[in-house]
Amino acid sequence: MTSEAPRRVDAGQYLPPATPLLSHRDSGLLHESGNTEVSATLRTELLDFDAWSEILTMYGRTLRVAVALTDSQGQVLGKCHNAQPVWRLVRDAARGWSSGCPFCITTCVPCTAVAEALRTGGVVMMRDRAGLAHVTVPLLLGEQRFGAIIAGQVFDRYPEPLSLRRVAKDFGVSAQRLWELAREQRPVSNTILRASGDLLFALGHAFLRQRYGAILEAKLAETNGRFRLLVEGVRDYALFTMDSTGRVTSWNGGAERLLGYVAAEIMGQNFSYIFTRDDIQNRVPEKQLHKALEVGRAEDEGWRVRGNRKQFWANVNITALEDAGLARGFAVIVQDVTEQRKIATVLEEARQERECLQEKLLSHVSHELRTPLTAIYLFTTNLLDGVFGDLTPDQHEHLRFALDNVKQLKSMVSDLLDITRVDTHKLTVEPQHLSLTKLIDDVLSTCLTNATVKNISLRSHVAPGLPFIWADPARVRQILINLIDNGIKFAPASGTVTVQTRTSAEDEGFLCLSVSDTGCGISPENREIIFDRLSQVKSTAEASRSGLGLGLFISKELVSRHGGRIWVESELEHGSTFYFTLPVFSLAKLCAHVFTAPNLEAGCVTLIAVDVAAVEVVVQADILLETRKVLERCIRPGQDVLLPSMSDAEPVETFFIVAGTDAKGFEVIASRIVRELQNFDSASRLKPVISSMTLLVAPGQSGEVQISEVAARVEQLVQAHLLGKENSNG
Amino acid sequence: MDEKKILIIDDDQHLLLGLTARLKAKGYRVICAADGVSAIAVARKEVPHLVILDLGLPAGGGFCVLERMRDLADLVAIPVIVLSARDPADNEKRALDAGAVAFFQKPPDNHEFLSAIRHALGETVALSTFLKT
Repeated sequence: MTSEAPRRVDAGQYLPPATPLLSHRDSGLLHESGNTEVSATLRTELLDFDAWSEILTMYGRTLRVAVALTDSQGQVLGKCHNAQPVWRLVRDAARGWSSGCPFCITTCVPCTAVAEALRTGGVVMMRDRAGLAHVTVPLLLGEQRFGAIIAGQVFDRYPEPLSLRRVAKDFGVSAQRLWELAREQRPVSNTILRASGDLLFALGHAFLRQRYGAILEAKLAETNGRFRLLVEGVRDYALFTMDSTGRVTSWNGGAERLLGYVAAEIMGQNFSYIFTRDDIQNRVPEKQLHKALEVGRAEDEGWRVRGNRKQFWANVNITALEDAGLARGFAVIVQDVTEQRKIATVLEEARQERECLQEKLLSHVSHELRTPLTAIYLFTTNLLDGVFGDLTPDQHEHLRFALDNVKQLKSMVSDLLDITRVDTHKLTVEPQHLSLTKLIDDVLSTCLTNATVKNISLRSHVAPGLPFIWADPARVRQILINLIDNGIKFAPASGTVTVQTRTSAEDEGFLCLSVSDTGCGISPENREIIFDRLSQVKSTAEASRSGLGLGLFISKELVSRHGGRIWVESELEHGSTFYFTLPVFSLAKLCAHVFTAPNLEAGCVTLIAVDVAAVEVVVQADILLETRKVLERCIRPGQDVLLPSMSDAEPVETFFIVAGTDAKGFEVIASRIVRELQNFDSASRLKPVISSMTLLVAPGQSGEVQISEVAARVEQLVQAHLLGKENSNG
Repeated sequence: MDEKKILIIDDDQHLLLGLTARLKAKGYRVICAADGVSAIAVARKEVPHLVILDLGLPAGGGFCVLERMRDLADLVAIPVIVLSARDPADNEKRALDAGAVAFFQKPPDNHEFLSAIRHALGETVALSTFLKT
């Protein structure tokens, strides 16, 4: 028999009447399993023979056929044989084969019928040489090919496996006769074969589906269960979901614990339950949902309310859940961060307390140092100024040294206080309209004593016609004095310290001031660090005991508070030049909110000049200060501007108001000023009176007007008015 | 013309000594008080032309003294110059609002301080000397 060529009798193929299609659920599982390839585990589970054996046995018994289940490779997973096919026994006995098609007597391994059925998706019917038939039904779901069921006609007389010899013996024939006997078996007709194929196909797929469904259910249940356990198990976070209107749809154990509502009472309720009354009034819950819908997520920290009405500080994270672009609801995570907040608050309080303490300490130290310093200062100056009689030149000189040291101590104490202010962000500047010419003269006269002692000449080159600056006069003085004193300190005897001012080419809108000395210069590496706190260049330290090394640091801070910058240019042995910039006063900037396009177009920019005279001949400066305060009350804050003193000379008895109004509005403001000044109440008998109030209308051009042009025009009007007054006075 | 009377209220004996010497040399009559309570009593008795007031005082701080003086008809018109070691950033405005005519931080510059005294006493003095702006 081994010599016989493998032969297959093709009995035909056909597609079963009902091609199995994928249901939604199937696709879900297939999708879950990786879309195109079903995982090996799932295949094994689907084709678990133990599950299949009952239905296959039933089929086999009914139709008196042997049934086998194979995987997609044709490997037999299990058989139910109410009879063993003789030919298989013949072949197995002859060849000792154990795998391959259990029914086919051909030698194809694995059975081509399985491959064929899986390829075409149809039922394959075959007959062997003996005329016995078997049908092969593919097991398919969509694109997935899982395996096949083979049902074969068998000798039904022997339901149990028998050896060939036993079969032959039972038949009382030789093996040859057995073969012939087999041929005499009435082959089933194709119609019957086909009907049984249909049945098997339907049965197989129904069961495959059922099994598929069962596995799906089991898996979902397992996943859900695991997820539920996970969600339930989370204790430190409240996790809950809401539908798109904010009604709670799930509520975990953490939520019950943290938010104090059990699931049963909160389900279906609006989540605004956990908000404070104020938040609900301010529609915060709706706003948060809205934000989550818009950007996908809303995070917030704030007070939330538990079921027992106690508040806690919560970190809330709302995520919008979307399915195919449709909002399905929200997932919410709430965490109680009250403790963290407490810790953060405590830390912040500790930091503030430390800062406050530091400030208190330094201001206390500064206060305590100032008191003895004052006594020393007074006694020294009393002696120096000859209050107790004339001094010998030596006594005078030594007292002079003492006084210098007192002054140095005094400035160090001031520096110490300024440093505290830098640290506590309290170093402020109060900028005003300021003329540098006078201020520099003033500073130079202050520094003159120091310079004279060292025989150093102080010079200043102040360009004529410099614009006013917008700076704090006391602070500018402080910066200049510090730089000049440094220059004096480092310049050799009979050297020069020069103060210069010029408009800054690089920094538009700034004036540049410089202080240069003819000293020893600063090396490049030191140029970087001299503006740092407590930096004192070693090699120059012996030049003088030069304070705390805070001067340049404070100067830098002060300049930057003005919006300017400070830097140094230096060459060793050729001296140093310190530069710093300060903003130029800009009428346009100060009056920006008056010089708006609508105001300009409507001609609503009015310049009012208020000339004040006093009842007595001389107008005192403090009266002018008070008058300014009165005028400040007369203008509309945020709409009108009371200009700073616009003249170099002083005292100036003219005040200017730039008002965002027309002639009619001027009448209103004017009458208010007259009324207020009449009520002027001063400790002194002096009283300002309005000598004139002029309406200087700014250009009411229509169309495009540059704000800078208007500002320039207003400035012209101001100067013209001041000049006119001077002339009439003269 | 009578010499002007100046009352210095300060608890630092050395300051009193030094400042008294200086002011006497300038031709003023000087009286002293070292605490808030006696200061008011001395002021009511002597009625000085000017008060130089420290802020940190025993028995009622400087601000108390200022307020009391503003409440008493015989003292309300006396100009007060505050001379304190305290930070002007916190105290200058408060002192001026409470009725002081000037605030000086210790140690004051002698020249400026004397100018302010002369001005407060209504003596002629160049305006620019005490104009801060």
